[in-house]
Amino acid sequence: MCSISFISLFFFSLLSFTMGLIFIMNDFTIFIEWEVVSMNSLMIVMTILLDWMSLIFMSFVLMISSLVIYYSKEYMESDYKINRFIMLVLMFVTSMMLLIISPNLISILLGWDGLGLVSYCLVIYFQNIKSYNAGMLTALSNRIGDVALLLAIAWMLNYGSWNYIFYLDVMQSDSEMLIVGMLVMLAAMTKSAQIPFSSWLPAAMAAPTPVSALVHSSTLVTAGVYLLIRFNIVLSTSWMGNLLLLLSGLTMFMAGLGANYEFDLKKIIALSTLSQLGLMMSILSMGYYKLAFFHLLTHALFKALLFMCAGAIIHNMNNNQDIRLMGSLSLMMPLTSSCFNVANLALCGMPFLAGFYSKDLILEMVSFSYINLFSFFLYFFSTGLTVCYSFRLVYYSMTGDSNFSSLNMLNDEGWVMLKSMMGLLILSIVGGSMLSWLIFPTPEVIILPLNLKLLTLFVCIIGGLMGYLISNVSLFFMNKALSNYNFSYFLGSMWFMPYISTYGIINYPLILGKMSIKSFDQGWSEYFGGQQLYYNLVKNSQLNQMLQNNNLKIYLLSFIFWIVILYMYMICF
Amino acid sequence: MFNNSSKIMFLTILMMGSLIAISANSWMGAWMGLEINLLAFIPLMSDNKLMSTEASLKYFLTQALASSVFLFAVILFLLNTGKNNANLMEMIILSSLLLKSGSAPFHFWFPNVMEGLSWINALILMTWQKIAPLMLISYVIFKPLIIISIILSSFIGALGGLNQTSLRKLMAYSSINHLGWMLAAMYNSNIWLMYFLFYTFLTFSMVLMFNMFKISYINQLFSLFFHEKSIKFFLFFNLLSLGGLPPFLGFLPKMFVIQSLTMNNQLFLLTFMVMMTLITLYFYIRLCYSAFMLNYYENSWMTFSYYKSSNMKLLLTFSYISTFGLFLTSSLYFFF
Repeated sequence: MCSISFISLFFFSLLSFTMGLIFIMNDFTIFIEWEVVSMNSLMIVMTILLDWMSLIFMSFVLMISSLVIYYSKEYMESDYKINRFIMLVLMFVTSMMLLIISPNLISILLGWDGLGLVSYCLVIYFQNIKSYNAGMLTALSNRIGDVALLLAIAWMLNYGSWNYIFYLDVMQSDSEMLIVGMLVMLAAMTKSAQIPFSSWLPAAMAAPTPVSALVHSSTLVTAGVYLLIRFNIVLSTSWMGNLLLLLSGLTMFMAGLGANYEFDLKKIIALSTLSQLGLMMSILSMGYYKLAFFHLLTHALFKALLFMCAGAIIHNMNNNQDIRLMGSLSLMMPLTSSCFNVANLALCGMPFLAGFYSKDLILEMVSFSYINLFSFFLYFFSTGLTVCYSFRLVYYSMTGDSNFSSLNMLNDEGWVMLKSMMGLLILSIVGGSMLSWLIFPTPEVIILPLNLKLLTLFVCIIGGLMGYLISNVSLFFMNKALSNYNFSYFLGSMWFMPYISTYGIINYPLILGKMSIKSFDQGWSEYFGGQQLYYNLVKNSQLNQMLQNNNLKIYLLSFIFWIVILYMYMICF
Repeated sequence: MFNNSSKIMFLTILMMGSLIAISANSWMGAWMGLEINLLAFIPLMSDNKLMSTEASLKYFLTQALASSVFLFAVILFLLNTGKNNANLMEMIILSSLLLKSGSAPFHFWFPNVMEGLSWINALILMTWQKIAPLMLISYVIFKPLIIISIILSSFIGALGGLNQTSLRKLMAYSSINHLGWMLAAMYNSNIWLMYFLFYTFLTFSMVLMFNMFKISYINQLFSLFFHEKSIKFFLFFNLLSLGGLPPFLGFLPKMFVIQSLTMNNQLFLLTFMVMMTLITLYFYIRLCYSAFMLNYYENSWMTFSYYKSSNMKLLLTFSYISTFGLFLTSSLYFFF
């Protein structure tokens, strides 16, 4: 199952990449419509749009998923139902394909809902309470977006078709289209875990690590970004772009801060994903959709690699994922560690790795364009934070002494995992430059003063330094985080956002539910329903039994009385 | 039962009496048939047990009283010179017939008598003995009294059975409830005959089972043993069929009654009867509990295999019909 899936996905990836190259070169687009139902003036169609964007995205998704499946062959090898796992991943990939190729609101729903469902199944793959809670949080958060999409379908009924790409131009003049745009933005924000809905993404780390690598870092969460890339005119022509800029900037900032407080290896990476998603969203909301797409692709590459390395480490450390127990991994697992470091540096934007090309371009475009100070601050501070938590992570896990239990055996000989990591390693080194040459036929012209040009570099260096300094503690240090506990708890728990998604919403409904079950379900409706009815029936039945216990003589006499009464009545009247 | 040749004679006379009563063209003839029927049933009832003696005495007293009132009313009819109110005379006849059939305001003797009888005699009492009174009732329908009887019969039939542990009494109350339905069927058309036939069939298969396994109380049902659960399951579908649950045969006559009452705009009466039948269904289901709950306690031994007996085959055939009969009849209806 693993091998077949790997080979076929790999093949399709190469195929669609080649096609994507041809499409870019010739500036070519294929648009296929299959009519499902036609009713009055409405037509429900399955639409397939193949242009360079969807093809390249598809090829990247297929490439990463093929490598992830190859990787799972070793990572999940002791799993009894590994075939089920592979099937789920394949279903996920299929949903993702459907999502990528359809620009129609109805047919996109097929992929969109499929993603939600399959990602739920994948999050609860390890069947325990924590996974279940995380899965429910994921599924319900995504459900908000699904509902928004359904509402958007209802609103688009007026236009007689759901091919939204044809209607984007009327956006400015038509308020109803604006509502559709708002709903789509809401959907994209849930899928990409933007600020009010962020809490599911770290929770979804309960899934197996290959799933995290594929689903919750590189593909699923970028579905929202991709949808908005297709809808980009909505953002640039209305107030929604500004709103999204604010929210996504805050997401980026919040996630970067949170990652600095986190000790769970996977959660750190999840929060870094969240931060990068915020970056994509914010540059998208400023109107540079190509840049967002570029960063989406490069990010997918190195983030999948990062997760794979994390998975290899976790696999080796007996499923332990606390970074405080790691250390000196660079000595124990040199190959994995170097992959990990490459991915981390790519994430930080180290020159000439994949992340550099997209991230540097984004930050320079930000400096170049007309933007307010707050958003500017968010962009650059978050960039610094990214480097900060990356260096902190490296400090904790790679350097120093091993803090794991005394008797353990770490090795770097998971060849299957290493092979799949090597594939992504190459891509995350050369992917950025390759894509930048492909996507931008002519280089962007950016002219900045020296200070602004070097700002990114300074921010990164200071961030790295801070990351080292905050982690470098000794026994006699005073813990500032502990002395400002409330504040650091606020920052470390994603600005209390998990409470918004869970207890904050459900508390009063649950109290109401308790009251209603107490006074209605088990109260009045029992009193006027089953219990009281049964009680009365039994009472009446007992009365009947009492009547039945009389002597036969009494019955016969009463019958005679009845006849006598009838007779007398007959005679008198 | 057939060991004793005199019983054959009494049974013949019993049937003859009913036939005379229903085919008589004068009230006197009908009275005569009823008397013959009564006097033939009394010797049949006695099977050398104390209880049956008591039951036969109770039965005799009640029926004799009813007969005398009936005779009295018939004579009044004959002497009627047009001065008297005919409705009231009909009411007297009707009351005596209702007492004979054991329907609700005059039902008190019925469970008591049933309690003392053997299952076969109980079957006769529940089915054959009702033919003549019901037929005669259908001649003198006086609606107000009939409606009172319908309502009370279904009510008492439902409530009385609710706290019974004796199966005979339970069947008696079930019979009272069904009697309410039959009277309702009589209310405006002749479908009561069909109802009666279905009721007889279903009661027959139930009583056959009770008789075969020698069951008198519901706790015996709970430790009833079968080689196969499915047989037990299957046999107890009879009970649900008797209660009138839709996929089974027992629903068919009820559906006819429901239809005729709906057509005649008797919706309140109908609703009431259906509700009361729901209660009967409740206590039927309580009987079936051991059969339908798969993890119910059972003995692991048995002394006699029921499979060999021809009765079992008959019983299974009957259960088959009463379980799948609705489909069969519906398809018949469809084809012809």
